[in-house]
Parts: sequence; C-alpha cells; structure tokens
Amino acid sequence: MKLYFHAMRLHLKSLLEYKASFVFGLFSQVFVFFSYYFIILALFNKFDNIKGFTLYEVLLTFAIIQFGFSVNEIFARGIDQFDDLIVDGSFDRLLIRPQPIILQVLCTQIAWIRISRTVQAIIVLVIALVNLDIAWSIEKVLVLILMLLSSIAIFFGIFLLMASYCFVTVKGLEVRNVFTDGGKHMAQYPIGIFRKGFIFIFTYIIPYAFVNYYPILYFLGKSDNKFYMLSPIIVLLYLIIPFYAFKRGVKKYASTGS
Amino acid sequence: MSFIEVKNISKTFKVAKRGSGLKNGIKSFFKRDYIAIDAASDISFEMDKGEIVGYIGPNGAGKSTTIKILSGILVPDSGTVKVNGLVPWVDRKEYVSNIGVVFGQRSQLWWDIPAIDTFDLLKDMYKIDEKAYEKTKNELISLLKIEDVVKVPVRQLSLGQRMRCEIAASLLHKPKILFLDEPTIGLDAVSKKIVRDFIKKINKEENTTIILTTHDMSDIEALAKRIILIGKGKILYDGTLQKLKNRYGNNKKVVITTQNRLSNINKKGIISHKKNEIGYEFIVDVNILTINEFLKYLGTKIEIEDVDIDNVGIDDVIIKTYEEYDL
Amino acid sequence: MKAIRSIFRLNFLNDLQYRSQALAGIATQFFFGFVFIMVYVAFYESGNTDKVPMPLTQLVSYLWLNQAFFSLIYIWTKEKDLISMIKNGNVAYELVRPINFYFKWYATMIAKRVSRVLLRFFPVLLIAYFLPKPFNLMLPSNLETFLIFLLSLVLSTFLVVAISMVLHMITFFTLNEKGVLEIFMSVSEILAGGTIPLVMFPTFLYKIAYVLPFRYTCDLPFRIYTGNISISNATPDIIGSFIWIIVVTLIGYLLTRKALKKAVIQGG
Repeated sequence: MKLYFHAMRLHLKSLLEYKASFVFGLFSQVFVFFSYYFIILALFNKFDNIKGFTLYEVLLTFAIIQFGFSVNEIFARGIDQFDDLIVDGSFDRLLIRPQPIILQVLCTQIAWIRISRTVQAIIVLVIALVNLDIAWSIEKVLVLILMLLSSIAIFFGIFLLMASYCFVTVKGLEVRNVFTDGGKHMAQYPIGIFRKGFIFIFTYIIPYAFVNYYPILYFLGKSDNKFYMLSPIIVLLYLIIPFYAFKRGVKKYASTGS
Repeated sequence: MSFIEVKNISKTFKVAKRGSGLKNGIKSFFKRDYIAIDAASDISFEMDKGEIVGYIGPNGAGKSTTIKILSGILVPDSGTVKVNGLVPWVDRKEYVSNIGVVFGQRSQLWWDIPAIDTFDLLKDMYKIDEKAYEKTKNELISLLKIEDVVKVPVRQLSLGQRMRCEIAASLLHKPKILFLDEPTIGLDAVSKKIVRDFIKKINKEENTTIILTTHDMSDIEALAKRIILIGKGKILYDGTLQKLKNRYGNNKKVVITTQNRLSNINKKGIISHKKNEIGYEFIVDVNILTINEFLKYLGTKIEIEDVDIDNVGIDDVIIKTYEEYDL
Repeated sequence: MKAIRSIFRLNFLNDLQYRSQALAGIATQFFFGFVFIMVYVAFYESGNTDKVPMPLTQLVSYLWLNQAFFSLIYIWTKEKDLISMIKNGNVAYELVRPINFYFKWYATMIAKRVSRVLLRFFPVLLIAYFLPKPFNLMLPSNLETFLIFLLSLVLSTFLVVAISMVLHMITFFTLNEKGVLEIFMSVSEILAGGTIPLVMFPTFLYKIAYVLPFRYTCDLPFRIYTGNISISNATPDIIGSFIWIIVVTLIGYLLTRKALKKAVIQGG
C-alpha cells in the first residue's frame, strides 16, 4: 500500500511538470463529462419521466455508474491500457520485481487528470440526493455505499478481464468499448427501461443491474425486497472470474513469452 | 555446488507461418501453420559467485531467452535452473529480490521526473531499509558520477547519463546477480568508460555475479574473462576469451604502405592478404612466421614505406566463429 | 487530382487490410446506436409526447444516419501526419512543393473520410432498415428529399473538413492538440447535433446552436432526410451551408498562410 501511495505522488508530480496542459486537461474533462449528462437533461426537458423514473432518479443512477467508472479511469488506467505493457515489452520488468503483479500494473498509470470527472459525478450524486425525497435509514446508507463500491468493482473487473485477454492477443480490442463504454451508457439509465434480452445480459452476464438497478429500486422505496438491497455483493463475487483469468494469463505468458 | 546451475534447459517457441497475398491471408485466418523455433536447446553451464560472464551470439541466437529464464520471466520446457538454491520461476518473489536487470534498450525510469524519484519508489518496491538505502544510493551516485544528473527530469538527460541512472536504479537493492543486456549500446566514450569501470568495481568490491550480453566486443574484452558463445539455441563455446582467440592462431594484422604491386605471395604463416588504398593488409600467424621474418620476406619483393601492426580484434574472431558454425 | 485519387485508393485498400478492425468498429457503432435508440423508445413509451417536436420514427432514423456517417462528418478527426509535421517543424519543407498546402490537405482529408465511410455506412444502414419497429430506419418520403439530403451531406463534408483544417492550423500556434481543442471538440459535437437533434435542445441552447456553423454538419442533413425539415424550409439552410463553407475555408486558408510564414521565419 505504501508503494501505491508513493506511485500516486509521483504520477501527480509528473503531471505537474506540464502545468498548463494539466489545467486545460482538468477543464476539458468538465466539458467532456458535461456532454454525458447533457442528453439526460435535454430529454427531461421534453419528457417528464422514463418508464416511471423521474429526472433525479435517473441522475442518481447515472451518478453511481459514472462514479465507479471515473474512479477506475484514474486508478485502474494501467489495467485499462494493459495492451501497451504487453506490446512494448515492459511487462517483463514487472515480473522481475518482488511485488504482486496487479499492484505493479496499477502503479504504472494513475490518471489524475480525470479526477474532475469523479468530482462531477459526486456533485451530480449530491444534487440528485438532495432533490429526491428519501426516507433515510441505516439500510439506505448501507445500500448507497454498496452501490458505489460495486460500481467501482464492476469496471475494475471488466478492465481486468480485458487485460487478461491481452495475454492471448492484442487484436480486436475495440470490442471492449461495447462492454465498458456501451455498458456504462446503458447503466446510466435504470436498466429496467430496456428490452428483456438486454436486461438479461446486463443482469447475469455482465451484472450492471446489480450495481444500480435493483439496489436503487430498494433505495427509492420502489421495492421492499431485502435481496435487492444486498445485490451489489453479487458483483463483488463476480470479481473472482477476472482475477482468476489474469492469473492464468500470467502463467501463460511465462510459458510462451508473448 | 555452484552459485548458478543451469542444466539442460530447452525452450521451443511456436511462430505462426504466413505466406503473403490475399489467398494466404485468408487461409491463415482459418488455419495456421506453425514453425517451431528452438530458442534454447539443451543449454547447461555453471557460474561461481563473483564471476563475470560475457554471453554473446548473433541476434536471434537465444541470448534473451536464456536471460529471461534466468531472471524468472520465462519457464523453460525442460531442464532445471538453480540460483543460490532457488528456482527462479517457482520462488519468483523471493528470487527477484536477489537480482538486478538492466535492459539497455528499455527504460525503467519515469520520463517526466528526476531519476532520484524513481529511486525512492524502488526503495518501497524492494522494501529496502531506510538507512541502507541512503548509503547505497549515495555510493552509487558518486561512483557513477551522477550527482547532478539525478535531479533533472529524465527526459532532459543524454543517453549516457540516462544509462548510468538506469544502472544505479537496478542496484539499489544490492542484488547478488546483475544481468546487463547491452549496457553500453549507443553510449559516448566517457559514459562507456564510467560504466565499465563501475561494473569492474562492484564486481570486485561487492562480489556481484554479472552476466553481460552485448554486441560490443570491447565490452567483453574490458570486463569478461569468460565468455559463453551461443548460436541457434546451443552453446558453441564456453571458456576464456584468450583461448578462443588462440583457436584461430596467434594472428596479427600487418598493414604495409607501398607504391609497388605485389604478385605471387606464397609463404607459410601468411594467412591472407588484400589490397587497400595505401598498400596491402596481411594477416600473419606469428607462431609460424615472426614479424621480423615476415618483413624481411616482403622487403625482397616490394619497397616498404610504412608498417602498422595490430592484434587481430575479437570482432574478427567472433565473425570467424559464426562463419564456422554457419550462423 | 491524380494525387488525390491515389490517396483515396491507398486509404481504401489500407482499410480493407484492417477489415477485422472495421468489422469491430461497425459492430460497436451498431451496439451504441441500439442502446441510444432503446433509451428514446423508453422515453416515448412513457406517456405524454405532446411537447416533443420530433416523432420517434424520425428520431430513430436520425440516430442511425448519425451512426452510419459518423466517420464522414465527425468534426475532429486527427490527421496524425499533419500534426506531427506541425509539431516537429517539417511543415516548412511543404512550401517547396508545387502543390498548394492548404488544398492538398483539404483534399487528403476528404479522401480519407470518404474511403473510411464507404466501408462502414452501408452495413449499418442495411441492418437498421430491416430491424423490427420501432427500431428501424425509415426511407425518405420522396426522391426529392433524398436528393436534397445527399446535396446537404456533400456540403456537410466540405464544411467539416474546412473546420477541421482550421483546428489543425490552431495546433500550429498552440503546439498541442489537447486542452483547448478537446473542449472545443465536445462542445462542437453537441452543437452539431451529434448527440441529439437540435430540436430536442432547451430553447436557449437551440438559439445558440442555430447561429453557429456546426449544425450544418450533422443536424441539417439528417433532419432533411427524416423530413423534420421540409424541402421548402431547407433551401435557406442550404444557402447557409454554402456561405459557411466559404467563410470557414477562407479563415482556414488565411490561417494556413500565416502559419507557414511563421514556420519559414522560425526555420522549421
């Protein structure tokens, strides 16, 4: 952990070497992020609900998923761009260091510049919470925390799974956008608004629905199902698969060298 | 038992074969033919603690495969490796604390910040104790003459300065074994000398075992008594540099400046001759024909204006050896 | 002209080479289109659509067209060669060539965009057409509409490239293609109608977008296709496109001249 904090400091220092582009970068991230929720705002200007969900309910869903994604964009960027490590051969370097490999991959890149996205996600979250009429209780606080955690977990898991795929080949990685950006885009809305097939895929194959759909039904008082409250935990269990896949990938790397 | 024991390691890679053209492109999309390449076949050697070995061979001979196996990055198909009682790829984390690796063509330093910051990070990476770290760091910095260099962002350094920082970074945890992969490639003369002197010094004082791969034979001449020559995945020669040289006779290169033309040279001991701009260039085996006798012989045939005598370089020896093994 | 043809040919063949990437690109584009549309369908199915200025069928077609022609009309497609030439100063050498610098790159960008879109637009449109209601792409109501759509798409391509040239030349003065340009990119995409058609904007933003040139690149051609802008209303907009093309091209041209002068003085 000490190592990771040290790496965080150095990445910040590297970034500050280019002060002007750092400031512009932070600023431009605000606009990029704005374009994400612009559609939601614009559409609610013309419609008053989407399948029974109001503006602030959708913004809450949006904020939770964007929060997890942006946290990963900052801290798990090394895993997101793992193909670079494989292609330029620097992965070898990680193998000759006495630290866990995933930790070292995380240390390779920390994109502080994207912190403005996380901040905006939190702002949207607060705005949504203030405008929603929520009967707060310990369970509600718990489910909110679980949702935020599982949102981080699901993107971390997908990134790691894609990184494991890089051990096989680095070709055709464009498809990962479907799972990350595409999934993210879907899950900014309550997944229940979509057609059944999609709901199935994004519940059981890639469990976005357990991050911010079922728990939000409980959170908003649309359902009393206690299982919904705890469903983000399922996402954490899903993490076993990418971790295992990555471990297998490292083993394969050691036997083929590519 | 030796410090490093490599026994019968073999490693084969599969490489997809692909013809050119659309037809072959489509074919290989469905079914791939593979060629097996033996990057290491039945390689065995031992090394003692504190030895320096030059590991040489042409590109693609399997040098880096062996280095990767020895540093725990690759697992061989068969054979065993024991270093200081550890198997590199089995006890990875424990083992790698004992080794340092310098890849001449790749950097481990952070580009935008001073090298000293990377050093500090490596302290945490290897969990080096604070006091020992400060001491080692200062020693390395003064030996490699990088006192000021380490405080400048790496992107502003020259190649030689950067390489010296790389070497320091690889030695902060005081490894018992150091792998140097082309450490002097592209360096200026001053940096080259500093690096070589430094390698000699740590070898002598810290008793660090060093495996050096390089294409620069003057590195080998300056540093390694023993060389291992590898080609097509096999060890072709393992022994002292001097012995390899002797294998091709005790040859000297003699350059003669003359205006005359030379015809029918036929004397035992003159191995070859060729014309150049100023005269002729001879290779003479001085065990058979001394320089004195050679010059006398030549004096009877042409008028010698000037003479230049040189040892046959190791480069020539290596090229000859490669030719002999058809590499 | 011959040079342009060979640039086009080369890019087209190159794209063919990377057909698996192109396929992945089409698949991704298709998936995204589908997700967007599902969101809108859900909105429209949620009841009161009185306030909505665009019927669902038109909106769905608009989105498919946007996905299909994305690589033609996306404003900020980086021209790597040009950027690196600008950054390392080699741009000065371009002056000795017998071909006009500005129009050479203008034509190159058009050739690249056209070759890229040729491989991509048709599959997306074809599949979209055969999708079940309400996800399907509709045909334009008559031939006239279709022809005017084509005209406006061609104009849009010219305008986009003219804007892109201005942006590339700006990097000449800032020496950095990130920062300001990234901001510009995300704002201009919204204002062009790249996320949703302008009619769906809140009023104040709609007014802003209407006086800027970006809407001619995306919003205009696709709304003409869907019939959301009638043929009679389209005429002034087509004239507007022409005017903007001339204005922006002129700006780009002058900017290029200035930039090249600077490059010569600096000695590259």
